[in-house]
Amino acid sequence: MATRSGGKAAGAGRFTQDEKRRDSDHVSFLKHGGYRWLWIALALSGAAIAGYALIDQQPRPNGGTWYGYILGTIGLGLILWLSLLGVRKRRINPGVWSLKAWTSAHVYLGLSLVVVGTLHTGFQIGWNVHTLAYVLMLLVIATGVYGVAVYATLPASLSANRKEMTRAQMLEALTATDRQLEIAAQPLARAEADLVIAALGQDVFYGGALARLTASYPGCATTRALAGMGAESEAETRVAALLEKRRDQLAQVRGALRIRALLEVWLFVHIPLTIALIAALTAHVISVFYYW
Amino acid sequence: MAFLIRTIDFTAAGRELVRDRLLDQPGLTIGRAADNDIHLPDLAVEQHHIRIDLQGDDNLAVRALGTLGFTLDGRMVSDGTISLSTGGEIALGAARLAVAREADGSTSITIRQVTAEEGKGDALRGFALASVLPSKRAMSWAFAGAILLLLLMVPVASHLLRAPAKPDPTGKTPGTVLLDSAWTSGDLSLKHHSLQDNCESCHVAAFESVQDETCVSCHKQTGDHASMPRLAKGAPALSPGDALQWRIGEGLGKEGPLGCVSCHSEHEGPVRQPAGGEAFCSDCHKTLDKRLTDTQLSNAHDFGKAHPQLRPVYFASFGAAKPVRAVAGSVPVERSGLKFPHDVHMNARGGAARMAVSLGQYGKPLECKDCHSLTPDKASFKEVKMEDACEGCHSLVSGRGISGFTKLRHGDVKDLAEDLARISSGPRAPVSPVRQRPGQIGSAAPAYRADFGRPVRGYIGLSNALSAGGVCTECHLPTRGPTGQADLMPVNLPDRFLTSGYFNHEPHKQEKCTTCHAADTSKTASDLLIPDLKSCRECHLGASAAKTKTIVPSDCAMCHAYHLPSGQWSPKGPSPHYKPPPPAKPAVAGIAAKTKP
Repeated sequence: MATRSGGKAAGAGRFTQDEKRRDSDHVSFLKHGGYRWLWIALALSGAAIAGYALIDQQPRPNGGTWYGYILGTIGLGLILWLSLLGVRKRRINPGVWSLKAWTSAHVYLGLSLVVVGTLHTGFQIGWNVHTLAYVLMLLVIATGVYGVAVYATLPASLSANRKEMTRAQMLEALTATDRQLEIAAQPLARAEADLVIAALGQDVFYGGALARLTASYPGCATTRALAGMGAESEAETRVAALLEKRRDQLAQVRGALRIRALLEVWLFVHIPLTIALIAALTAHVISVFYYW
Repeated sequence: MAFLIRTIDFTAAGRELVRDRLLDQPGLTIGRAADNDIHLPDLAVEQHHIRIDLQGDDNLAVRALGTLGFTLDGRMVSDGTISLSTGGEIALGAARLAVAREADGSTSITIRQVTAEEGKGDALRGFALASVLPSKRAMSWAFAGAILLLLLMVPVASHLLRAPAKPDPTGKTPGTVLLDSAWTSGDLSLKHHSLQDNCESCHVAAFESVQDETCVSCHKQTGDHASMPRLAKGAPALSPGDALQWRIGEGLGKEGPLGCVSCHSEHEGPVRQPAGGEAFCSDCHKTLDKRLTDTQLSNAHDFGKAHPQLRPVYFASFGAAKPVRAVAGSVPVERSGLKFPHDVHMNARGGAARMAVSLGQYGKPLECKDCHSLTPDKASFKEVKMEDACEGCHSLVSGRGISGFTKLRHGDVKDLAEDLARISSGPRAPVSPVRQRPGQIGSAAPAYRADFGRPVRGYIGLSNALSAGGVCTECHLPTRGPTGQADLMPVNLPDRFLTSGYFNHEPHKQEKCTTCHAADTSKTASDLLIPDLKSCRECHLGASAAKTKTIVPSDCAMCHAYHLPSGQWSPKGPSPHYKPPPPAKPAVAGIAAKTKP
């Protein structure tokens, strides 16, 4: 009996545990562990501000006082650790330090760097390598904040834009339209045929990063072909109808491209600037002691 | 209703085979089974997969016969409509069925086999933003490389490869280290601004803090506040954080907390190095006696609350070689060797005033400035010269000579003796015109008679002048020389009374002299007329005092400098640490008022 009841208890425990794990699997990394890292980051920032206000730094607060060195060391350590997220996420391993916990800490400790870094400067800003490192740090943090914000909001619109089509299907639909266009355009005269050739020849992913972000494609050959297509013959009407179909399909693709670009663009600033920041920090630390 | 079924195949040689057949019926089925109207031998296709029916005049209804759907215009559906005016494409397995209306009104279905696209995954990659931007890795290398090269390697390399030069205080030597201006943490102070572009003039060696030796190589005249060991002993203990920082710093070759740069921190912007605040001084001087037990300095921290009594220097005994500092709390008796009742001279109704009124050079009762005139630095007064200040009344005229009045020379008793002897010997008696009468022998006939007596008259004249009631002792004190001869006390007055602080009369000129110096009531010259702490405190209180019309909050630096106090008033060398502020510019209203007729 004892063992059975014991087993039951163990089973119930296991169930609760599993439930807890299942629940936690669906908790956002922002809410991880009951906002554990938010509180830790707030405590760090609060302690840094309190120390700055209470400790008499002679002759004036800056990075060169003992408190300034402590803040600088904390900041440098944080920046190096935060940049290791890229290494951590490529290592799939179990353990207490889950990737979610790591990401949660990355976001909140990264935000607390604004406080630690600013206090380390002692509010002395100038055109020099020290302020360069500070500004790079702020830019990296700002892009990170943007990243968290778009990850929270944009995936919903990405899914709405798909209309139950996969990316492959979007391209496939375009190819299907293109094949029909090629057949339908056979009776057209030279000028109209050239317009169709241009539209078919243009890459689906035509346009640069800026075009993607703004979803503005002034050089779109399909739009141009549609504008140049008359309604004199039945063939032209059919081609125009197919071009309209192609334009709508392209708009869907380009909508997906835009949302995807908005989702991804921050990383193209965040990562290179992080590496630039580490380089600037190296120059900052070495130069400060080189010209002590 | 007719369907034109066109099948396009390729031969092994790649030649296109087109076969047409006409089905004149309103609908048709497509599937893998041979009984379908269109037979597709493809395992991915169901036996009877879809059915196409004409719907109305212009549409084809397409529906799946089984549970498996089909792809219509790229989209997976189980039911759909194709408009014949635009056409459509059905995908079943590897077959693509293009539906369109022919010119003769029939509906064509063109069947074509497609091979699986090789680069389909690659095409999907185009959705990622990475396809239109340079790679993150490339950008990272570019940014980091540029920063490390320009802001670290170039300055370090040019610093290591330069030919070291001696510091140039004029700042005319340009720096030779490239791009190290990016390392500066702020502009240099105004006094060091000329060194702005020559970092290595102060930062001599790599990873070595700025050394005192480098500062002193230009600032040779700067005095020490006290000797290093006494400074260290008198300073309070550092906070644990500061102590740790200095211990580490000194271990790495940094000058200690008493080094130049620990107070003179640079790169704080183009400002003048501010004087240390009250706390800077009071850190040590508030409780200095506890640490520096043998010090003669009293504790001080706030001029209004805790500042020792002023201790002017004065000559405490007649003819002393050196002046002494007054003992705090005592009433000093000055032994200048002069008699001078200030009150008599300053009394506007007294004899001195009457005399001054009668004299053209004064014309009115005496004022302080008739005798005392400020030195150019406004800190002190020029020496009072008897000939300029006193002689107008206290005449030394001794007789009438060929070229006018003769007078006794002032300043040296030997000169006086010569002048007096000349008076006493006097001009010789006329030789001839006086006739000698009987009974007058020896009295009026000096022609043949020399004065063979002792030179008593000359001696008596000098002795009289120097003794009480004589012409000299009007102002001077009589004394006896080493051989017992009559002499005068030497006059001893210090050049400066307050030697450890700095005082400027210029900012105080709106006050009367007698507000601070009690000259109008002083009856004897032994009164030391230097004001005391109390009279200063009527206006000056500590730095924390509230500023009012009469109260001036005064920190230590208003009167004291950290380095040698004597450096403040030396005519050459560094400028005084306290300068009167420049005259205020007249306000616009004031100028407007003046321009009115």
